[in-house]
Amino acid sequence: MSSVLWFQAGACSGNTMSFLNAEEPNVVDLIVDFGLELLWHPSLGMELGDQAKKIFTDCASGARPLDIFVLEGTVIRGPDGSGSMDMFAERPMLEWVTELANAASIVVAIGDCACWGGIPAMEPNPSDSTGLQFHKRDKGGFLGPDWRSKSGLPVINIPGCPAHPDWITQVLVALATGRAGDIALDDLHRPQTFFKTFTQTGCTRVQFFEYKQSTTSFGEGTRTGCLFYEFGCRGPMTHSPCNRILWNRQSSKTRAGMPCLGCTEPEFPFFDLAKDTVFKTQKVSGTIPKEVPEGVDHITYMAHAAAARIAAPQWSKEDMFVV
Amino acid sequence: MTTTAPGSDAVDLFVSPLGRVEGDLDVRVTIEDGIVTSAWTEAAMFRGFEIILRGKDPQAGLIVTPRICGICGGSHLYKACYALDTAWQTHVPANATLIRNIAQACETLQSIPRYFYALFAIDLVNKNYAGNPMYDEAVRRFAPYVGTSYQKGVVLSGKPVEVYAIFGGQWPHSSFMVPGGVMSAPSLADVTRATAILNHWKDNWLEKEWLGCSVDRWLEVKSWEDMLAWVDENESQHDSDCGFFIRYAQSIGLDKYGGGVGAYVAPGTYFEPSLYENPTVEGRQAALQGRGAVYAGGQYFEYDQAAVTEDVTHSFYKGERPLHPWDGETVPLDPVASRTEGKYSWAKSPRYDVPGLGRVPLEAGPLARRVAASAPDPAAHQDSDPLFADLLDRLGPSVFVRQMARMHEGPKYFKWAMEWLSQLDLTGSFHTKPAELEDGKGWGATEAARGALQDWIVIEKGKIANYQVVTPTAWNIGPRDSNEALGPIEAALVGTPVADMEDPVELGHVARSFDSCLVCTVHAYDGKSGKEMNQFVINGMV
Repeated sequence: MSSVLWFQAGACSGNTMSFLNAEEPNVVDLIVDFGLELLWHPSLGMELGDQAKKIFTDCASGARPLDIFVLEGTVIRGPDGSGSMDMFAERPMLEWVTELANAASIVVAIGDCACWGGIPAMEPNPSDSTGLQFHKRDKGGFLGPDWRSKSGLPVINIPGCPAHPDWITQVLVALATGRAGDIALDDLHRPQTFFKTFTQTGCTRVQFFEYKQSTTSFGEGTRTGCLFYEFGCRGPMTHSPCNRILWNRQSSKTRAGMPCLGCTEPEFPFFDLAKDTVFKTQKVSGTIPKEVPEGVDHITYMAHAAAARIAAPQWSKEDMFVV
Repeated sequence: MTTTAPGSDAVDLFVSPLGRVEGDLDVRVTIEDGIVTSAWTEAAMFRGFEIILRGKDPQAGLIVTPRICGICGGSHLYKACYALDTAWQTHVPANATLIRNIAQACETLQSIPRYFYALFAIDLVNKNYAGNPMYDEAVRRFAPYVGTSYQKGVVLSGKPVEVYAIFGGQWPHSSFMVPGGVMSAPSLADVTRATAILNHWKDNWLEKEWLGCSVDRWLEVKSWEDMLAWVDENESQHDSDCGFFIRYAQSIGLDKYGGGVGAYVAPGTYFEPSLYENPTVEGRQAALQGRGAVYAGGQYFEYDQAAVTEDVTHSFYKGERPLHPWDGETVPLDPVASRTEGKYSWAKSPRYDVPGLGRVPLEAGPLARRVAASAPDPAAHQDSDPLFADLLDRLGPSVFVRQMARMHEGPKYFKWAMEWLSQLDLTGSFHTKPAELEDGKGWGATEAARGALQDWIVIEKGKIANYQVVTPTAWNIGPRDSNEALGPIEAALVGTPVADMEDPVELGHVARSFDSCLVCTVHAYDGKSGKEMNQFVINGMV
């Protein structure tokens, strides 16, 4: 039995909503079958009033053991570091976060906001939001680069906007079943088992990428081609299992014709959504993608692209995802 | 721990925090002789999305606004897209309108059981009702995690958004609706699977658990009398979750309080594809299938976006006078310092200028939509449904009526979504590439599950010059305005009986019946000294 306390700070509740879509295990299984003791959650908690506040204060003081503290949402520091732009139970939320993070055995940040600040932290960051242990790609965030939980682990980051329910539930089950030691983290504190692969891994458009065949328009245009060349798809540069573990058991953005926005990476939303960067590939000299797949340089990319276009078979220029 | 002040029945309760769109919400109420006499709603969290959007790419709202609220992110996308469609004067093919309708409806179909069981019905098993003869049955059905209906309702609520994922890639937080259409072009199997998933949800939850009858039988209910007769028609309907709720809600008095301002706003949603191929601000209302209307002072009015303003008299923002959202400003103030000026919320107060009444607060949400659906003179393609006009005539507004309005939309939107699926022309077009105009003004609106959701965008030199989002949570939880008129939830709390100061579940019922994005804590204050007596958490989010 593991005790879990789940708070929402500068959050939209998207990760909670995503979590509620989970199957195998679903939220009921987690509690009934896996004995996850959800001490309190803003949407699912039962305790009211004094009982609820007592849970928070007892966890913070150590009077009640807290195994896992889950945070969804940014840590809001504004204005002027006071945190009073996000009050919870009559205290700035950042005070609760400090105390509960230090009291818990393991701290899990769910979603981009808690990991590295997400959309609220994009410029001009009106609420002075940040993530628990990163601010965008910079180590530090709210708790500082060297912070460790009671178990000696840094904050475990499960990014995404939102995180996929499986990424959340499988990590919670691993922690609850004593497999914390099997969770290997990358340099952004993401579990490698999910975030070593690329969003492109398993994408149904990967053959079009192979032969450098572009989708030419949205809608019916997405019956063929790859979204990387014209529509700003970040699938080749983004680490996620979105095309290995499908969304809502059905699909993924790229499969449905929507370019990957790179939302499991700290820079999301990329280019601060400046003019002409949304759903448009950034290019050099009007033709060459400014960013190329990880580990590839532009010269190699261009040589490979030229050869691939010559090799492209006729079917790669026709519709594939047909009626 | 809660007691009233010695020699007095007057107590203040502080409800904190309530809102998730513009932040957590606190609600403070004054209670005298066991009845709420006044209320203040305080949004307690600020992120500043409207500030973030300024100066960005015009399409930034398609990515940013869904993240305002992950609970109705699909609705945010839908109206953000129409704001651009109107600003860029796009052409939207019929197929794209259908897909947008289907996706928006599926988000709402997801919300109905998820909200009902996970958020609302938990309060129905509150120990304060233990003396009710139906209490044991309520616990068997609705107890969190273990209740027989809770498990099925919460787990099956994920099904309709599987359909969203088929067309949009994922739910929550897709951005697949774009000016001129949608990004996807479904295959045959996408449509057949979507149809099968919705049927599965209908068979296994909507009809089997909720209604105990066919969708068509439920939709024959046109009056309060019909509804009562429906309950007693057979065992299956009597004992369904809906039949049980209708009986139990009356026995615990949910039909007796929580009425609110009795005036409603619904911009409406879902378009008849042939009537909105070239979206305009002016042409919107006539193209709607789910009608919009304002109902105030006993009269219906056509919905007009130009009549909307936001007031910041009691909000933590700078501003001297109510502004229309195209001219709207979002300049945050220090919440601690500005509290001394009578400001108490991060929510603005949206108001609607009703002819003859001035700028008044209006309730947004499913009850507002049901009122709009009973307005006179519907066009042939528009929803026309007298049920809730009759319920309001017979019972008046209450927690119960608001809740039934929401649940009534399950069968209705299911039928609509199936009809839209059947109309898709798979070999047709799903997107018309728009001209990305450098300058323009747009307005997009929809009905999120919890009510009126609208964006106003101003584009200058290819960038966002102004972007204002007016959410249903702001309509409902917004604070007092310059006339000191209470916001709708503030008004709905007034008159609520509180039986047990230790556990004021009635306040939870009222707050939750608006289905705002809430996590609320209730703090009890001594009415005379202002000393805090107790604190309660009313969980919630949708």
